[in-house]
Amino acid sequence: MLSAEHAADRMILEEPYYEVLGNEREVFTAAYRNQLPVLLKGPTGCGKTRFVHHMAWYLKRPLVTVACHDDLTAADLIGRYLVKGGQTEWLDGPLAQAVRMGAICYLDEVVEARKDTSVVIHPLCDDRRLLPIDKLGELLQVPPEFCLVVSYNPGYQSVLKDLKQSTRQRFVALEFDYPQPDLERRIVETEGHVGPEMAARLVKFGAHTRNLKGAGLEEGASTRLLVNAAKLIGSGVAPGVACASAVAHALTDDAELLQTVHELASAVF
Amino acid sequence: MPASVAVGRVNLSHPQRGQALSPAQIQQDLSLIAEAARASQPRLPAVLAAIAELDQASQEFIHHWAETLALSQQDLAAHFLAQVPDALAVLEQPAIEGWLLKALDTFDQRGLAAALQVIQDLPACIAAQAVARTGCTLDQVAGFLRHFIRALGGRPLAIVSDPLTYTDTEKIYLPALLTTLPDQAGNARLLKCMAVYLWAQNRFGTWRYGTVGQAITQLDALGWQVFQRLESVRIIARIARELPGLAREMDSVAYVDDAARHAWASFSAAAHTLEDPHAGVQDSLALVDAGRALVLPPPRQFQGEMLPHKVGEVFARRVPREKDALRQALANLTPDAVEKDPDNPDDAPPEVAAEGEAGNRFSLAQTAPDAAGEPQYELRYDGQKLALTAELEALLLSILQDLGELSDEHLAPSGAAGTDPRDEQGSPGATGLGDVSSGPGEVFFYPEWDYQRQHFRPNFCALTEQLVPEGDDAFVARTRQKYRGLAKSIQRVFEAILTEAQRQRRQPHGDELDLDALIEAHVDRLRGHEMSDRLYTHFRKAERSVAVMFMVDMSGSTKGWINDAERESLILLCGALETLGDTYAIYGFSGRTNRRCEVYRVKTFTEPFSLAVERRISGISAKSYTRMGVAIRHLGKLLAQTPARTRLLITLSDGKPEDYGSYRGRYGIEDTRHALLEIKRDGIHPFCITIDREAQDYLPHMYGLANFTVVDEVMKLPWKVADIYRRLTT
Repeated sequence: MLSAEHAADRMILEEPYYEVLGNEREVFTAAYRNQLPVLLKGPTGCGKTRFVHHMAWYLKRPLVTVACHDDLTAADLIGRYLVKGGQTEWLDGPLAQAVRMGAICYLDEVVEARKDTSVVIHPLCDDRRLLPIDKLGELLQVPPEFCLVVSYNPGYQSVLKDLKQSTRQRFVALEFDYPQPDLERRIVETEGHVGPEMAARLVKFGAHTRNLKGAGLEEGASTRLLVNAAKLIGSGVAPGVACASAVAHALTDDAELLQTVHELASAVF
Repeated sequence: MPASVAVGRVNLSHPQRGQALSPAQIQQDLSLIAEAARASQPRLPAVLAAIAELDQASQEFIHHWAETLALSQQDLAAHFLAQVPDALAVLEQPAIEGWLLKALDTFDQRGLAAALQVIQDLPACIAAQAVARTGCTLDQVAGFLRHFIRALGGRPLAIVSDPLTYTDTEKIYLPALLTTLPDQAGNARLLKCMAVYLWAQNRFGTWRYGTVGQAITQLDALGWQVFQRLESVRIIARIARELPGLAREMDSVAYVDDAARHAWASFSAAAHTLEDPHAGVQDSLALVDAGRALVLPPPRQFQGEMLPHKVGEVFARRVPREKDALRQALANLTPDAVEKDPDNPDDAPPEVAAEGEAGNRFSLAQTAPDAAGEPQYELRYDGQKLALTAELEALLLSILQDLGELSDEHLAPSGAAGTDPRDEQGSPGATGLGDVSSGPGEVFFYPEWDYQRQHFRPNFCALTEQLVPEGDDAFVARTRQKYRGLAKSIQRVFEAILTEAQRQRRQPHGDELDLDALIEAHVDRLRGHEMSDRLYTHFRKAERSVAVMFMVDMSGSTKGWINDAERESLILLCGALETLGDTYAIYGFSGRTNRRCEVYRVKTFTEPFSLAVERRISGISAKSYTRMGVAIRHLGKLLAQTPARTRLLITLSDGKPEDYGSYRGRYGIEDTRHALLEIKRDGIHPFCITIDREAQDYLPHMYGLANFTVVDEVMKLPWKVADIYRRLTT
């Protein structure tokens, strides 16, 4: 069977850097042990994907990640027949693969996917734990090691792309937010390879931009953006320029707000 | 021969396109305007003579503005004429326009007396003009400063213009124009530094509730001078630690000359204990007596004033109000907190506990300071951390900024009896509109575009939404009967749109191969099954995502058969739209003057089509006038909030915009045109269906060449509307 090799490829061998924010690791572990699917909510760039990587390593399970987009159908998740050398061959989709290898399957930004994906997600997520593969006439019984994790950002999606109650009520939900300042400083320091002083200034700058959320900006600077800025600074880019490129222009196109973010950057350095 | 326009009680010449007014006509008009004013102008003959001396362009400029002002108020025009020769001698035309626009805005908002004051303030305007090239106005930077100060954190502070530079802990008062430094960029920077310094006074505890009272009783005039400088040492040190880049910038604009810089250096050295990270306002206060012996440096340029009495007034209002608000919020939190605590089921009710000797169950704990070294707090209940809402967090922050800590009294939840909310909300009536209410419901305020001023009149129109009363069923039934055949054909056409609008897969013919189908067919063939021949995709337009707002003219002129035709069209169209599954809403509009604009709700976007909607359609009736701009702004706003790829605003109308008063003619057309441009910016496509045969004259200007249709026979309207809709959306 192919899946054993695949599983080895998808194991995460080195510990991904992750700072625990609260009780999310215990809750996730408990959900995993009880075969409950997990929903991660939170703003962009606050560490949802990193957390899943970390948990896959922590629980020693392979990880299958699917970035959802609006053309992603149920067939893309389950699999399809291909023709190889005049022969037909079935190819498992990522979800079927994950089920077979007992992996953690992570559907990133799940609301982006087509509505028909809920047909496969629903039976997986309740106590049936089944994955029907119509074309094979197969009904996969999901092994206890398998875990479905989905993420979404409640912040900016349009009403058209909200998660339906029938879907969301099948999940254990974990809410993420930007880390506390000293924790965030440590993250920026470790990930961005800058000194503690510089990391603290970047975090302060990030906090200032978050004060503008809802007052002009859709979102403040995420931890990811701060880490990006730190990396640029670590490679010798001047802090002001790094913040402009990595943060200001990533946040907004509005001239007045750009000026504000620029001046905030020059204020803290 | 120029056409004439009626302005108030006088008829003025009006230039036709490409024609100029003769000096004699201008003189005649201007004297008519001046004479129509209530207050007589003794200088008038001299003024008119002076105007006659000017070149043609200037005379026409004066004529245009005199007419514009007279449209609002005759006296404004007369006073303008008295001032204008002097003004033209020193000011450029754009500067004069600015001066007059300010007067007109003042007139709209605060009435004639205030507006006349602005006109008479010409010398002030001239002085402002002289420095405008080097100075920086607060208006230029206010938008940026608001964002910037908000981003820095702490209690939100408004930015307001005032002759004095100070803060009262709720607002930052800055000069409307700053000319201290020789160039505009420098002045802009100085304004920013002023705002930051005053923000820092609030943030870093200059204004503490207890200290302000103490300082007021303890300090004499010299004492205040010393205290102000000591605080400046302390605050600048705080800024330098937390926002070093900003501190460098502030340093670059702080001093008039090197002498001032040196004076500050020695003063700071003498008060260096205040530069300690833990120094507070009490330390500054304690140093005042020792500081009296020092040589006082001149104030730093961004420092502004300290007005403790203003702060005291704000404290007197805010501190008790916020205390009540906090106690109320804690009272609301209490039942939840009790539920969260299942281990102690025999807890006493919270009110009892709060009054008991044991003291409060709520407590405020200081936790590890954040990256900036600012202390962080968390609110606890029986030692357990409480999750706070954003409002409550802001409230706590504000209280801590005033008091530095919470008293036990603050932490006692208020009883069920509750306190009366002391918030006095500002009402929109502040726009000077007087009584604006017209029926029940919320009042919305919208600006209106005045083409003569080339400027908005802010909050000029008051609009209410009302529900159309339900009409009789018989009309609906009659319409259905009358257009039986048409309804069916409309239905078929729309069904066709629906199928063709989709991307069709697995077709027997098409533009491209359907790869999925092909592979499947191949697989079938290899496995010995029969192959399908439906292997193509047929591409059409992407998924339908259309939201449409029908804006129905309910002005008095639609009375009778036009109204009937409108209603019939809507009933037929609703059926078709239901087939298509497009999101749609129907609103009527009418109104009388800017204070009573009305839109009538027939169907909202979210409301499903129902018998009630049908009855409301049949209840659409003719009302009064056609003030279109405000209706477009309001309905455009509703439409912009509706998620859809294509958004259409379709107006069914019988004529040009018109309203009681000045909305007739060009003014109304220009306002409507401007409103349409505004909604186009929001991604809305406006379209007009009209039965006014003269519409060719003004509709291209308002809607653009391709965005309207004139239906020449009213009876054809029901046919046309559905057909036009099909063309528009496919």
